[in-house]
Amino acid sequence: MEIYLPIAEQSINVFLLLGLGGVAGLLAGMFGVGGGFLATPLLIFVGIPPAVAVASQANQVIANSVSSLQVQWRRGNVDLRMGLVLLLGGIVGSSVGVTLFTYLKRIGQIDFVIAVLYVVMLSTIGGLMAFESLRTYFRHKRHPETPRGKLHQHYMVHRLPWKMRFYKSKLYISAFLPMGLGFVIGILSAILGVGGGFVLVPAMIYLLGMPTSVVIGTSNFQVLFVAANVTFLQSATNGTVDVVLALLLILGGVVGAPVGARLAAKMPGVVLRGLMALLILGVAAQLLVELLRAPYSPYSLGLREVLK
Amino acid sequence: MIRAGLLSLSLVTATLLSAGALAQQAGPRVDPGAPPSLPGPAIEAPAPAVVAPDLVMDLSAPRVSITSAFQGEKLLLFGMFDPPGEVVVVVSGPPARETVLRKERFLYLWLNTGRQAFDDVPAYYYIAASQPLQRLLARGTGGEILSLEDRMSTVHAATPRASAELARFRSGLVEVKRREGLFPADIGQVSIQANRLFRVDLPFPSRLPEGVYDVRAYLLRDGKIVAAVSRPLPVSKVGFNAQLAGWAGREGALYGLGAILMALLVGWLGGAVVRRL
Repeated sequence: MEIYLPIAEQSINVFLLLGLGGVAGLLAGMFGVGGGFLATPLLIFVGIPPAVAVASQANQVIANSVSSLQVQWRRGNVDLRMGLVLLLGGIVGSSVGVTLFTYLKRIGQIDFVIAVLYVVMLSTIGGLMAFESLRTYFRHKRHPETPRGKLHQHYMVHRLPWKMRFYKSKLYISAFLPMGLGFVIGILSAILGVGGGFVLVPAMIYLLGMPTSVVIGTSNFQVLFVAANVTFLQSATNGTVDVVLALLLILGGVVGAPVGARLAAKMPGVVLRGLMALLILGVAAQLLVELLRAPYSPYSLGLREVLK
Repeated sequence: MIRAGLLSLSLVTATLLSAGALAQQAGPRVDPGAPPSLPGPAIEAPAPAVVAPDLVMDLSAPRVSITSAFQGEKLLLFGMFDPPGEVVVVVSGPPARETVLRKERFLYLWLNTGRQAFDDVPAYYYIAASQPLQRLLARGTGGEILSLEDRMSTVHAATPRASAELARFRSGLVEVKRREGLFPADIGQVSIQANRLFRVDLPFPSRLPEGVYDVRAYLLRDGKIVAAVSRPLPVSKVGFNAQLAGWAGREGALYGLGAILMALLVGWLGGAVVRRL
């Protein structure tokens, strides 16, 4: 069954979109991060214009994170103070990001920037995760009981000024740190149409040293508002949010998420992270090949302007 | 298709009637194809002062409506002409400035580094003829009927560039348009029946730019245009699609808020419902 998307201006199979949303939801349920990093490249791959794919994906991320935040909030897993500081950076970052996006689109380089950013980001994160889960797996095999170390490491970043207490996260760190992190995630969010959870979650654990229990909920909180900001700005400046496309992705995701959660409950964490790493590396490799291989046709069309 | 058939039948009847009236003036002529159920009085009535047009045409639909189920559309263009002669049909979408991007290799990476804008590029272009064009236009009909190639050579670059490069970008433009089904063929085939009826299918792809398209039919005799008819063909989104696209274009901020609300609502409800199951 085909449906015509009013903003993407083309017809596409309904079940393909529902399936894509379902896979993204499955990932969200399994790993606690939105599947945007997978869904956006796939949307572009099936022929949705990158500008529409990114903006509509941001719209989908809102639904994904609100449904996840519901649960986390009830369990008290949201560090509101940390979330608000992150968000402050996130709103500024995503606004800068949308401006940057609009500029890149105008000069015709947005596809390239999206692809390169994805390759760099996905291969870094996928590589780190693969390394970490392999190490954990083998260490676990050799020494089943590892001694508990310090609560978290102290680095240079802990000497920055404007320190704040984050009670729920048991942290006393400079507010610049989460704000800067939020800023970077905001830019990524605007340009790549991802929530940024897959960067934010590891950064919160390894960079900020937050306890794992509040990481997912706090990340959901920040992602929800940043995605809303991106959706609003993309729509107001570029008019590229396709609600029909977003709705189909959301509906697929609503079904996929609980399936993913159930699957995740049955698998050990190391295996889960290893699988996720493989998936991320796979997408990165695919995008890299696209960048390196001679294109089927070097020509494409940019903007079409009807002159009055 | 049924509607198209009926339309064409009524058109044929009407044209036959007036052709019959004309035939009475010009001398006796037998119409073997005339249906026997033709109403009699019209033929016996005194010849009206109306001169039958040499060429008439119609489309199977007055417009192309882009609905939610739109997957591209095939319209039937049909009509009738006074033989002898050959028919050429030209359908042209609204002109616009198009920017052609070209990927070039830069440090192992393929980048859109080349770009060239062209003005007055038709959104869609389809020319069909009942005979190979070269033969029809052999005696030089003047610049009115343009083959796809001729039409594209009139498209001018928005910025100057060496002519060899320009030609490459221009052929790149044609290549992309052809791939998207917006230049369906170099030349289509107009089929002629009973030596006076003609028809041709107009294929429109799903990625069809909106606007008012121009549909023209020409009657040629000895390489000269003896009659031409044209009509506009509006292509537009309708219903829900039109409303959404309109909002997104005019009220981007409001549309954005609506999109956010939709996502919050569906995400919240969907999450709650699925968790109950």
